[in-house]
Amino acid sequence: MAQTHDHTKDEFDIVETDPAKLPALGRAMLFLDKKKNVDRIVYGLYAVCALLVIADIAYKKKTYFSIEYFFGFYGWYGFIMCALLVVCAKAMRRVLMRDETYYAPYDVESEDYPEDQLDRSSIHD
Amino acid sequence: MIDVVPPFVVYILGAFVVANTPAGVLRSAVLCLIPLIGGALVWNLDIGVYGQINAYGLDLVLLRVDKLSIIFALIFSLAGFLAMLYAWHIRDTIQQVAALLYSGSAIGAVFAGDLITLFVFWEGTAIASVFLIWARRSEGAYHTGMRYLIMQIASGVILIAGTALHYRDTGSIAFDQMTLGSLGTWLIFLAFGIKCAFPLLHNWLQDAYPAATVTGTVVLSAFTTKLAVYALARTFPGTELLIYIGAVMTLFPIFYAVIENDLRRVLAYSLNNQLGFMVVGVGIGTELALNGTAAHAFAHILYKALLFMSVGAVLFRTGTAKGSDLGGLYKTMPLTMIFCVVGAASISAFPLFSGFVSKSLILSAAGKEHYWVIWAILLFASAGVFHHSGIKIPYFVFFAHDSGKRPKEAPWNMLLAMFITSALCIGIGSYPAPLYALLPYDIKYEPYTTSHVITQLQLLFFSALAFTVLMRTGIYPPELRSVNLDSDWTYRRAGPALLGWLTWVVSSLWGGLKSFGVKEFWRITEGLYKTHGPEGRMARVWPTGSMVLWLAVILAAALLVNFIT
Repeated sequence: MAQTHDHTKDEFDIVETDPAKLPALGRAMLFLDKKKNVDRIVYGLYAVCALLVIADIAYKKKTYFSIEYFFGFYGWYGFIMCALLVVCAKAMRRVLMRDETYYAPYDVESEDYPEDQLDRSSIHD
Repeated sequence: MIDVVPPFVVYILGAFVVANTPAGVLRSAVLCLIPLIGGALVWNLDIGVYGQINAYGLDLVLLRVDKLSIIFALIFSLAGFLAMLYAWHIRDTIQQVAALLYSGSAIGAVFAGDLITLFVFWEGTAIASVFLIWARRSEGAYHTGMRYLIMQIASGVILIAGTALHYRDTGSIAFDQMTLGSLGTWLIFLAFGIKCAFPLLHNWLQDAYPAATVTGTVVLSAFTTKLAVYALARTFPGTELLIYIGAVMTLFPIFYAVIENDLRRVLAYSLNNQLGFMVVGVGIGTELALNGTAAHAFAHILYKALLFMSVGAVLFRTGTAKGSDLGGLYKTMPLTMIFCVVGAASISAFPLFSGFVSKSLILSAAGKEHYWVIWAILLFASAGVFHHSGIKIPYFVFFAHDSGKRPKEAPWNMLLAMFITSALCIGIGSYPAPLYALLPYDIKYEPYTTSHVITQLQLLFFSALAFTVLMRTGIYPPELRSVNLDSDWTYRRAGPALLGWLTWVVSSLWGGLKSFGVKEFWRITEGLYKTHGPEGRMARVWPTGSMVLWLAVILAAALLVNFIT
């Protein structure tokens, strides 16, 4: 087994695996490989989100703070804060990101994991 | 007198047995058995104080048993068992003995009734645990282990210094409730803060945990930091400062977790974030809040171990735990994927999973005490943790774009350990009564109200929506091979650089002075040589004639002076 990593994973050829070699559970989920099915899941997520907001009408909230009474508060708070989180974190990269070898050889970041402590069996073995 | 066997003794004896058992199935079985025996001992302990020893006028208490120490000792025993099962395939004496001594020390510390006993076990956890990092046996791991050890030992040294000052002030070494004020109490607080990964003191955690071995990280994730949370809950409940420290702790690690590539480091950041919730609970200090801290520590140890186990299994099979190198593993490691998702759902506090019934105690306590800013921060942190631990980890490992890696499913022992941990996560989440019964205070809390379930689902699904939208619009930052600067930069780069600069300044000043001195010395010497040397002007007046003449002149002058006076 090669020890080096594939640094350019988008470029190397992915060997199409014979589905028969996959474990049954993995085979059963192969539909996730099709973009159409992923789209369906995403539409499902949109629908669930919509339903959850609408559900706010259906019950009486028991809360600690008045802001929680705001219609769909948890929904928009979750969405906005998470979007902000990602945008801010992405901006942080400009300042904080360094090459993987920045601290080398004083940390494990750019080392390969010691091969003798691994068991890289593959389904092709 | 020691009237009850302290549970840590089992681990120390066990370590001797393990070291003398040939590596193999038998040893692995013994390793799994020891935490079970220890756990049974803990379970059967009666509330009370045992093992009081008077040494040099100090009252040492080896075993203080109350509900707070029992719940932590129980979860430590359970975590020890699960980690040993996960590490069944390991044939490395150092790691196995270290793991036993480490868990034994943590349990010993939990039962300590005085600060000296606490200190001994506190250092025990530091020394034993570093071998789980060094066991990786690479240059990077060696240096990382050294940094880890320095921080951990520093915490111990500060603890004993604080204890000494506290003893001088109060005459007591009791490991019990204190009020921040004297230097001694501040030092004790700081010692706990280092191990608890307070902001700016946190970076040893993200530095060291991803550097340990596959199984070592699972062991590490359970003990040190939760021991510190326990120590804070024991000594500083209701200290308002802790609320703000905890809130910051929940907040900043999630930003790092979003951009971090090494997924075991992402988990270390989210561990830090989860500790924040517990610290806030300690800071609020009401019965509900302290129950929340204990319950959250219990649930957290399990789901965090589960997440480290699943990412560890992937590392074990593929040789990498980096988001940039992984993807599409659901095809060949579907069981590991399911266990990872259970851990992710638990940490994200999905209804029916363990985080839901524990984290909400702390949020409710914050709400009840009207800390609305803190409450809003914790809510944001809850959404954020789902974002990076709940979605990012399973997504980039098992889905995202196909990495082409086709590893086999994890070995049976890892799968079994993950299965049991998953079952516990779901069990606690679906039926929290047994956990609630273990909590330090009586509790009347119903996590499953319509309001709570719906609002939590709204929060989580809209976080998922944010992730999906950002992913599909390409705004989400891709996983890149990189390191991100954090506070460790100060002592890994800035400190040494500053020291190097100072060395340069001092040495060039010294060098300048020295060469100036040497130059002057030679200039003067040469000058003197010119005038006084064999060829010098002064040397020319050497002939005896002129000397006699000058002598005569001086004599004449002396005579003259004599006559006149």
